[in-house]
Amino acid sequence: MMDTFNKDKRVKKFYPDYLSEIIFTMLIAFELLIIFVLLYPPVVGRQIDLTKPFQPIPEWYFLWLFKLVGYFHGSFAFIGTVIIPLIFVLLLLFIPFIDHGRYGRIKAIIAGMIILIGFIGLTIFSIL
Amino acid sequence: MDRRDFLKRFIKAFFFALSLSIISIISYIYPTKIKQKKTFYIYLTEEENLPKIGIRRFEYIFKNEEKTINSFVFLKKDDKGLAVFSPFCTHLGCLVKWNNIQKEFICACHGGRFDVEGKVIAGPPPMPLERLPFDIKDGKVYIGIKLYG
Amino acid sequence: MGKVFDWLDRQFHLISPHKRFFQRSVPPDLNYTYCFGGIAFTYFLILVFSGLLLSIYYVPSENDAYKSVMIITNEVPLGWVIRGMHKWSASFFIIFIIIHAIRVFVSKAYRPPRELNWIVGSLTLITAMASGFTGYLLPWDQKAYWATEVGTSMVGTIPFIGKYLMYAIRGGAEVNAATLIRFYSMHVLYLPLITGILLWFHFHMIKRQGISAKL
Ligand code: HEM
Ligand code: FES
Repeated sequence: MMDTFNKDKRVKKFYPDYLSEIIFTMLIAFELLIIFVLLYPPVVGRQIDLTKPFQPIPEWYFLWLFKLVGYFHGSFAFIGTVIIPLIFVLLLLFIPFIDHGRYGRIKAIIAGMIILIGFIGLTIFSIL
Repeated sequence: MDRRDFLKRFIKAFFFALSLSIISIISYIYPTKIKQKKTFYIYLTEEENLPKIGIRRFEYIFKNEEKTINSFVFLKKDDKGLAVFSPFCTHLGCLVKWNNIQKEFICACHGGRFDVEGKVIAGPPPMPLERLPFDIKDGKVYIGIKLYG
Repeated sequence: MGKVFDWLDRQFHLISPHKRFFQRSVPPDLNYTYCFGGIAFTYFLILVFSGLLLSIYYVPSENDAYKSVMIITNEVPLGWVIRGMHKWSASFFIIFIIIHAIRVFVSKAYRPPRELNWIVGSLTLITAMASGFTGYLLPWDQKAYWATEVGTSMVGTIPFIGKYLMYAIRGGAEVNAATLIRFYSMHVLYLPLITGILLWFHFHMIKRQGISAKL
């Protein structure tokens, strides 16, 4: 549909080709959001109460950490709470430098997979 | 004072100002009033309400000028006598539940489990449940709860 | 373009410095997977906007926080829509940053000269997650309190210095009113500002370097 802007398919300009695609997807994103807001309106939880045991479930993007923390017992707890998350963060940040040398791309893919599978796998485990 | 001397002093003064700022930022961020935990004795219940044998949960309300705390403790009575356990899990601070069938304290957060004596039997908690001091006077039970006072 | 725009352009010189940028060619095989970053940015804009609206009614104090979120949700006309937008766009923001990062990874666009932009993008993900964590406390309900209790205690498990770091984060020994204010300040001032600056870097580098061609 965007191709109507440019007759020649091999040449794409930022304006209007790419910009129009971006604006189009931004509008879809906005509509998607409104659909979710209307379907799942926010709720307020109960008031803070120190007399009732409560299991806090974090937001979905912290479920992996929540699960990870449970695997390290006693005085090793800090491995799950800080060391492994720190390794994840460092791997993520240094991906451009991991991809270096002969097998660079493969090393980068391994690093990326460790993060992604760690994230998704632990998230799934925590839901099960 | 020539130009070079002046410059040296100027740089020294700058580093002084910089380190002063950094120190004050850190001490500004770090909370001032971290005191040691103190034990406050409060009345819990009458002696006749104590369990004959086993574990029972008692709620309490603590009030002073600064705060009101409404929480609970576990009282255990057996042939070793009376013991009071704090319900806060020693792992990351959730509240534990007493499971009377398994005879265990269970923390739902990461599956920590403690036996009747408060000792860790499974899961991540690093220490046994905290035992609180208590006192029985004239048939009234007082417990010492620990607060940052 | 329109008269008003022409007038603005004469004052601010909007077009001429960006002309090259707008007219530049982009790789011809660019497709819709190259729009995930833009989607994530949309959610950031919505977060800032809805967040600023929430802050009109929200009161970051121990006694009023819960009540004020209650009021936003149940009493302010369509307040629940604004709050829902904030909550849902926080989730979508993070989802689309992750998808965007996967796209960048797959198309090898993190390679030189774009290493720094990968790092800046990853830092945005971290500030976004930090915003989510600090925001979670603000409703000051059961979920908020216990999640923060557990989350900040995690810092406390670091040997030797952990306890002091935890006190610094909580603003005291326990999760209390001081924690709420700290988290509020982080959530509405520091973190959005940092995220905004990171995004500015991110876009500036894209402007300078263009979009990477697929290999
Ligand atoms: C300028 C930017 C922002 C402002 C002024 C702002 C403001 C607020 C306020 C006042 C609240 C409390 C009201 C409520 O709980 O419904 C809140 C909650 C929250 N915010 Fe933000 N926010 C901003 C950006 C963000 C960002 C970037 C994120 C995450 C990626 C985020 C995630 C959250 C979350 C998860 C909550 C808890 C919502 C709930 O439980 O209802 N916010 N925010
Ligand atoms: S807080 Fe009890 S097991 Fe983690």
